Amino acid sequence: MTNMTDKSIIQARNIEKIYPNGCHALKNVSLDINRGEVVVIIGPSGSGKSTFLRTLNQLETISDGTIHIDEVSLTDRKTNINKVREEVGMVFQSFNLFPHKTALGNVALSPIKVKKKPRAVAEQEGRELLKKVGLAERMNNYPSHLSGGQQQRVAIARALAMHPKIMLFDEPTSALDPEMVGEVLDVMKSLASDGMTMVVVTHEMGFAREVADRVVFMEEGELVFEESPERFFSSDNPRLQRFLGQVL
Amino acid sequence: MEKQPHLLLWKAVFVLIMIGLGFGIYAGSKSIDYTWRWERIPQYIINTEATTVRSPFDGTATIEKGNKLVVTSDYGDDPLVIKKFDNLLVNNGDLVFEGDPLVEVENWNIGPLTWGLVMTLQLSVVSLVFAVVIGLFAGLARISTNPALRYLSVTYIELIRGTPLLVQIFIFYFFIGTVLDLDRFTAGVAALSVFTGAYIAEIVRSGIQSISPGQMEAARSLGMNYVQAMVNVILPQAFKRTLPPMAGQFINLIKDSSLVSVISITDLTKAGREVVSSTFAPFEVWFAVALMYLVLTGALSWAIQRLEKRLSASD
Ligand SMILES: Nc1ncnc2c1ncn2[C@@H]1O[C@H](COP(=O)(O)OP(=O)(O)OP(=O)(O)O)[C@@H](O)[C@H]1O
Ligand SMILES: [Mg+2]
Repeated sequence: MTNMTDKSIIQARNIEKIYPNGCHALKNVSLDINRGEVVVIIGPSGSGKSTFLRTLNQLETISDGTIHIDEVSLTDRKTNINKVREEVGMVFQSFNLFPHKTALGNVALSPIKVKKKPRAVAEQEGRELLKKVGLAERMNNYPSHLSGGQQQRVAIARALAMHPKIMLFDEPTSALDPEMVGEVLDVMKSLASDGMTMVVVTHEMGFAREVADRVVFMEEGELVFEESPERFFSSDNPRLQRFLGQVL
Repeated sequence: MEKQPHLLLWKAVFVLIMIGLGFGIYAGSKSIDYTWRWERIPQYIINTEATTVRSPFDGTATIEKGNKLVVTSDYGDDPLVIKKFDNLLVNNGDLVFEGDPLVEVENWNIGPLTWGLVMTLQLSVVSLVFAVVIGLFAGLARISTNPALRYLSVTYIELIRGTPLLVQIFIFYFFIGTVLDLDRFTAGVAALSVFTGAYIAEIVRSGIQSISPGQMEAARSLGMNYVQAMVNVILPQAFKRTLPPMAGQFINLIKDSSLVSVISITDLTKAGREVVSSTFAPFEVWFAVALMYLVLTGALSWAIQRLEKRLSASD
């Protein structure tokens, strides 16, 4: 524990990920993330961004390396991964709301079942969170009666309901119609300004420039480059240049 | 608007075909000189049986107001009072001797067909409960990552689906039933639940696999363990999706239960066979039995449709 800086809440060291089909998705990836930091990961399709994000809450196991979340080792067999996941919220590209529950039901479910909160308390907190993401009027709607942007905001509220220390976002706006991207990014911005530690995979370069403390570029399973946004976007790294040339 | 006349036409065609079928049955029975005796059937469903109440002693019958029959004994026994009866067989003031009929009382009696129906219902409901439990666990084992569980489940499903139910019933009754000393009903229920469980397992498996993996990931990412995620997120959705095939399976179970009559369980089918041999009215009996099965299966599909409607609130 001596070599850990007390600021890093996520320490990923020398991560290797080889899928059962032989696909080598992560190659020696190391990244430390500080408490309250917003890190944006960009990179071409198939570069391993999602895989890396998903190793941080063990939706994917790693083949080699170590990950510590708040000084808890994820590779330690004694670690209760469900406890770690309570601390690490995740927002998916495809929302993954529970279709059989209302917006409020989605938000309150895990606090009730996992944290064993009384229903009334969980729902009160849920209402406040939904208010915070601008959905006070839509609490009793089922996901099928919400727009994509609204669904993604419910998904964010649902993750926040567990009071996580870290939030992971995997392309949260990629499945949205352009006019709905803004409302979701606004929620994420306010979350960042509240001091939440966030790891965000996105193609929204504007968000990266404006909100990120650090931007990370991945390609072919490698972490190629990490910098502050100003330096990142003015870098002349040829691999990064090639990628930015394609997306911008 | 343009379609209206065609619709009407085809509805008329349907009605005509149905009338034709009815006439066919009628003509068919005519051609073999069958005399329909529908009036013999109702008594096997429900009947009234008159029992005669006889005087226990010599005495005098008096009818008091409120239609009450009182027989006072000649020898000082307590008077006999009969408050409820259907037919009076004595007049006011009659002298009666011991053993003389006094009144007739009609009792409602449930007939053998109704008893059969009740047995079929019991068999089906008990087997259904066990079949759902077996099917749920076998279905979950089928998609488990543990090979032992998976192979066990596959073996069970393949064995059961690969052999006829009738043979399974015999094996359960004659082999397992003898080894474990099971009574007929238990053996019948065991055979039916194990049989139906295999089909439900497949329905459960496909229902769970039809739920997008993202649902499990979302649930797990919120800190739920596997069981919590299954119970709170996956199974409720799978349940809704599997209702239509489940309904079909439940209806099959009711119908399949007729096969246990081979091990002498007096279910609706066996009752039908017994009634045929005492009425010599096989056509009527089998039509009546079919109708009674239809009432059961119809009620079940109606109930499940109601449930489906209720669950569709989130669509
Ligand atoms: N479950 C899996 N099994 C096998 N290979 C996988 C699996 N998931 C991803 N891969 C492979 O791993 C590599 C990295 O995939 P990943 O999804 O992490 O990329 P990504 O950077 O998120 O791409 P995108 O921008 O398209 O989402 C790809 O080559 C992909 O084909
Ligand atoms: Mg991805």
